[in-house]
Parts: sequence; structure tokens; C-alpha cells
Amino acid sequence: MDEQAGPGVFFSNNHPAAGGAKGLGPLAEAAAAGDGAAAAGAARAQYSLPGILHFLQHEWARFEVERAQWEVERAELQAQIAFLQGERKGQENLKKDLVRRIKMLEYALKQERAKYHKLKYGTELNQGDMKPPSYDSDEGNETEVQPQQNSQLMWKQGRQLLRQYLQEVGYTDTILDVKSKRVRALLGFSSDVTDREDDKNQDSLTDSASVLDNFKFLESAAADFSDEDEDDDIDGREKSIIDTSTIVRKKVLPDSSEDRDTKEALKEFDFLVTSEEGDNDSRSAGDGTDWGPNRSKLQDMLANLRDVDELPSLQPSVGSPSRPSSSRLPEHEINRADEVEALTFPPSSGKSFIMGADEALESELGLGELAGLTVANEADSLTYDVSANNKDALRKTWNPKFTLRSHFDGIRALAFHPTEPVLITASEDHTLKMWNLQKTAPAKKSTSLDVEPIYTFRAHKGPLLGHTDAVWGLAYSAAHQRLLSCSADGTLRLWNTTEVAPALSVFNDNQELGVPASVDLVSSDPSHMVASFSKGYTSIFNMETQQRILTLESNLDSTANSSCQINRVISHPTLPISITAHEDRHIKFYDNNTGKLIHSMVAHLEAVTSLAVDPNGLYLMSGSHDCSIRLWNLESKTCIQEFTAHRKKFEESIHDFEESIHDVAFHPSKCYIASAGADALAKVFV
Amino acid sequence: MVMAEGTAVLRQNRPGAKQYIQQNIRADCSNIDKILEPPEGQDEGVWNYEHLRQFCLELDGLAVKLQSECHPDTSHKTPKECPAIDYTRHTLDGAACFLNSSKYFPSRVSIKESSVAKLGSVCRRIYRIFSHAYFYHWQIFDDYENEIFLYHQFTKFVMKYNLMSKDNLIVPILEEVQNSGSGESEA
Repeated sequence: MDEQAGPGVFFSNNHPAAGGAKGLGPLAEAAAAGDGAAAAGAARAQYSLPGILHFLQHEWARFEVERAQWEVERAELQAQIAFLQGERKGQENLKKDLVRRIKMLEYALKQERAKYHKLKYGTELNQGDMKPPSYDSDEGNETEVQPQQNSQLMWKQGRQLLRQYLQEVGYTDTILDVKSKRVRALLGFSSDVTDREDDKNQDSLTDSASVLDNFKFLESAAADFSDEDEDDDIDGREKSIIDTSTIVRKKVLPDSSEDRDTKEALKEFDFLVTSEEGDNDSRSAGDGTDWGPNRSKLQDMLANLRDVDELPSLQPSVGSPSRPSSSRLPEHEINRADEVEALTFPPSSGKSFIMGADEALESELGLGELAGLTVANEADSLTYDVSANNKDALRKTWNPKFTLRSHFDGIRALAFHPTEPVLITASEDHTLKMWNLQKTAPAKKSTSLDVEPIYTFRAHKGPLLGHTDAVWGLAYSAAHQRLLSCSADGTLRLWNTTEVAPALSVFNDNQELGVPASVDLVSSDPSHMVASFSKGYTSIFNMETQQRILTLESNLDSTANSSCQINRVISHPTLPISITAHEDRHIKFYDNNTGKLIHSMVAHLEAVTSLAVDPNGLYLMSGSHDCSIRLWNLESKTCIQEFTAHRKKFEESIHDFEESIHDVAFHPSKCYIASAGADALAKVFV
Repeated sequence: MVMAEGTAVLRQNRPGAKQYIQQNIRADCSNIDKILEPPEGQDEGVWNYEHLRQFCLELDGLAVKLQSECHPDTSHKTPKECPAIDYTRHTLDGAACFLNSSKYFPSRVSIKESSVAKLGSVCRRIYRIFSHAYFYHWQIFDDYENEIFLYHQFTKFVMKYNLMSKDNLIVPILEEVQNSGSGESEA
């Protein structure tokens, strides 16, 4: 018929039996005005094509409208859900933060008690496991809370609030800091507490007096505070304030030493608030300034805490005095003196960094088995980062952070970049690998993150340029553009790094001292170098006159066996001291001027293989085949910390000789230490 | 030190698979059968893994030789062949990463089944390094091969443990080895 009916003929043919749609009739008639015959015909059948179309369109429009309405409703509901979820999350975070704080407080309390007990009785108080609280689980199951601690805990919380109020009043942080620092200094350096009582009395009395003065004001503030807030935990705190005030009043006058402790507890608490969870590096001053009795201010504070948490872990403090977290507080006091000293000793020699990729140098380096790679810090003594320096001086507890897996065979040596968080490892698999310590791949276990090497240097085929056998050690001086190498062929060679070809000078000791195993530049005298030999001697040479200056004292008889072999010699960065690591488990300290043995100690259970001194010259790190790395305080020559790292690898089964750690190193400017293992792993500690 | 030796004796008295392989290689690198034969009681997965590590290690030596020659301005001019040195590096780095990753190989004394399957793909990629070296840098390949017989070792290794199919072994030396497994002759 016509086009309109064309497609629709289909319809009228197909639903003769379809019922209903009586309403179509009149509709059809109205719509079919333009279609005379077709409309009439369709009306007869009670379904007209246009009518149907119209009906369908109408229905469809209706459905669309409804759907739009539903969509709108749905969106609204979803927005509401999101909002509620957000709120819930906020509440959870709030709860978590508060729980965290409680844990910090409990831990601080334990610290305090230990300290107090130690001072009082001279022995350690056995409190069980005293590790800093972990924040992964929200259950506070790692603390043993004794009944009497409860009141003290609330007391602490009260103290915290007090602090807050003091801030408001204007009794600034700095005044408290200065006073508590003095107190702390006194506390730290005296083992006899009673002598200082008087001084402390004065301090704390003035403190407590002013504290009491503020109390009246605070009580009224507390009253307001409790009125405004409805949260349970805030209410709890309000009760504790009242309790605190009574407790403080009772306690403050007769027992001022307690007050001092609480002041210190407050002090600690300030640290605790401003430190990140589990990470000792972040510091921010003035977190307390955001506190306030109002709930909104409280939330600001918590938001601040969260901000603090998000700071990158290696951000040094900006200007505030360094504030370690409570886990390091006991040592902090002892370190204050060290801190001052450290600042006055900028490193005197400029040593610099060798990149394996430097073609000229690369060809000088040793054998297929890279046994020696020496790199030391480049000291920008003028632009030295003081706060980073402080951190290094203060860092006392190191924790394993990264495990670098990529080498196929044992790692023989490692070196840090002078300024960047970059490590280079050299391995028996003939490669050097460069690692970026900041870009880490997340792994399941957070304790050991895997780091991918950025680049792998493959170039070593054999010794070149003068040495005829393996090069065991290198030492580089950027200030003088000199490279020193010692080799299994018995010679020590001095090179000019700008023109590589012939060695500047050769110290061919004619094998009289044996094979040099290790060499280092003497930091305190740039023209000297110290080398240790396989027969057990260590000598200092003058590089300019090419003469041996002196041989450091060593008690060896003529029938010396292999156990007197010296594995490593290093020069102290600031003092005229050389330190040697021996096969017979000893570490020995020698004076460079007299050659006398200053100190000798048995350091490990098996041969000591490697030594490293931290850039400030305060700590010595030694690695040994007994799988342990030990950190020593150079002043007291005592072991501060020990790590067990790297399982053993078997050498030839003939000798039954097990190797474990080949090298250790400090980062010159950042808080990293690394160890190189015979198990092809390098571990980095922070 | 007596103490050290005493304690050593008490521990595991058999060297690890890796040391065993390296010992045999050092002793005689042309005695391929000895190198490939696992000691009794050795888990096959671990054995394969350790061998693959050793191959990657030694292949670095080949890569070093190649990198001096494989430059844009040397023998082969077509640009698409030059990325071969990049491919070589990338493969070796990737293999190093894979073989050392704690995710796939958490322990060196037992290998997960799923990871064993992946060893084959590593072998294929490594094989391409060999074939490139053979076809484009024959002199270097030949010198290196005569030094340490690495290709022979590798081919026999993949054949023995069925890590790659024979079709993939396109380097035409060692045909007798490639044919020995099945008895059909390769074209």
C-alpha cells in the first residue's frame, strides 16, 4: 500500500489474535486522519498501525520518565551511602588513632618504669617484652597492663591534656623544652639521682607551681569541654582530668622527683605524637599547637597526625631540635654530648664516588670476580646537612629494610652513592648492579622489600692495565684524583684517574710483607695510605715518597699460620686511627702516628671480613663469616647492636669453609647501612 | 679455627646444587654429561633452577663480548637487528629478576610446581640470545663456545629436561644432539 503501511503490514498480519487495546480504537481513528483507507481498514481490526505506534511511543515515554526518576533516586541513595561510609570511616580512624595513642602511652610508661627502676635499683626491671608497639593490629595485646597502671595511664592522658591547655595559655613549648632538656641532661649523665634532686626540685617546683596556677583555669575549661562534647572517649578524658587534678595536687608537693618524671613523660608524649608509626625519621614541630578542648580542634589534631603519617619516611627535620621517638629516648640522653661533637668534626678528606660505568676506571678494576670495590663518601663539608648528621649520630637501632636479590653469585663488595639513595653491588657473577633504594616494589612481607636493580653493569673479563692478578681492594680520593689498588700479584698501585694508562707509582713490596689484602687512604693525612697484608702486617706508606713509613705493631711470631691474615683495613675518617679486621676474629685499633696497638677485641665468632665506619666516625660496623653484623660504639668499644643476616654458603667442600658476609657499608649522608652476602643477597638496613 | 671447622662438619655435609655444578664446570667444562647429571637424591626442579642460574651467569660473559661488537655502525646494518643487544640485556636482566624473585622462587631447596613451568619460557628467551650470536656474530660465538662450551651445555640441558621443543632449536650445530631425542631428522 503506502510506505507507512509497508513495515507495518507485518504487524497487522501477525497479531490477529492479540487482544486488548480497546483504547486503540479511538486513538487509531484520531491518528489515522491522514490515511484514509488504511485507517478505516485498521480501525475495523481494532488495531491501527499508527495507533499502535502511538501507544508504544506513549508507553515508552512514560517508562523513560520513570526510569529517569529511578536513576535520580538511586543516585541520591548512593550519595547518601557514600556519605555514611565516609563518616563511618572517619569514626574508625578516630578510634584507631586513639588506640594508637594509648599504646604509645603504655609503652612510654614502661620505658619510664624501666628507667626509674634501673636508676633506683641499679638493675634492669624485667618487664617482659619491651618492643615498641606495632600498629598493625588494633588489639592492644602486646602490653601487659597491671592494675595499678590504669590510674597512671589516665594520669598520663591527663598530663597530655594539661599540656594542651598550657599551650593555649601561652606557656610555650620552648620553655618546657629547655627545662626538661636540662633535667634530662642532668638525668642522663648522672647515675646517682639523689645528687641532682635539689636542682631538679627547683626546676620542677617552678614548673609545678605554674602548672597549678593553670589548673584553676583548666578546670573551668574542662567543664566547658565536657559540656560541648558527647563522645564517650572525650567524656572519659574529662573524668581523668578531674582525677588528674586531684592526683597531682596530692602528689606534687612531697614528691617532686615524680613530677620530674611526669614532666619527662609529657615530654616523651610530645615526641610520641609527633613521630610516625614505627618510623623514627619524621619529625614535625608544634603538633601540639593544633590541640584544643574543642572536638573540632581534636579532629584537627588527628588530621595532623594523619598528615604526619603520610610524610615520606626520610624527610629530615626542618628546624626543630631532633626529637626521636620514645624507643630511642634512653639512648638519646647519652647521645647529646656526642651530637655536639659530631657537628664540629666535618670530614676532612674528600673522597668520592666511582661509577662502574666510567669506562676508563672500569678497565682498571680487577678480575672477573670483583673482589674489591671501594667507594667512600663525597664530603660537601660546607653544605653538610646538619640535621641528617644528627640523625646518623642518633640512630641506634637499625632494622632490616630491603633485600636486594638479583645476583647469581656471592656479592663481594658494595658501595653507596655519596648523596643519593643509590647502592652499587659487585658480585662474583661478573656483574655490578645499581639499585635505587627509594623506588621499591611492594612485596607481601613488609619487613623485606624487594628492590629491582636499575642497571646491570656487565663488563669485567679480566684484569687489565698493570695488575696481573685479582685486584682485592681499591681506594679513591676525589680531592686528588687518585686511585689506589692492591692486588693478588703483590703490588699496590697508585693511579691518576684522569689518565689511566700507566700507573703513577707502584709499591712493589717484593713480597716481603705478603700479598696486600686491603688498602685505604689515611683520612687524616692525604699523602699516606695504609695497607694490610696477608701475612698479618699492616703498614703505612707515604705515597709521594713511595716509602714505607712505619709498620703497625703486630704480635706475630715467625711461624704465623693463616689465622693471622688481615682481611680489611680502614682509616678512621677523623682520627689518626687505623682499624683492621682479622681472620682470627679480632678487630684491632692502631694509632697512625706511633704505630702502637690501641685496642684489640674479639669481635665475632668467626673471621671478621669487613669493616665500615660511619661518616661521623662514631660507629664501627663489622661483618663476619659467622653471619652476623655488629655495630660498635667507637668510644666505648662496645657492641651496640647485632644483626644476623645472610645464611652461609658452602665453599669447596674440601675445606669445609663457610662464607657469609663479604662487605658492609654505611651511606655517607643518609641513614642506610648495607651488607653484602655470599648468598648473593644484599641487605639494606634503616 | 677449630671451632669453625667443628661446627661446619656438623652441618650439611653435601654442598648445595649450585656449588656442585660450579665445581664440575671448573673441573672440566667440556664434560657436559657430568655437569648435567644430577647427584642422587637431587630434586629435579631445583636442579633445573640452579642450572638455569648458572647459564644466565655465564651468558653474561657472552653478552659482554657481544656488546663490544654489536653496535649500530658495525657489521649488520639493518636497524631491527641492533636492538638485539638490548634484547640480550633485557632478557638477562629479566631472567635474573625472575630467577631471583622471592615470589616465584621463595626457597632454593624446593621449587614450586607453577614456577617450574615458567622455566621453559626463560629457556626460550635465552636461546634467542644464542641464536642471534650464532647467526650474526659467529666469530665471537665460536670463541666463547670453545672456551666454555656453553651452547652445547645449554642445548643438552633443555633436551634432557624437555624445557623447549626441538622445533625451536634453530642453530644448526649439534644436529646429532637435537636428533637424538626423537629419532626424526630435523630439516
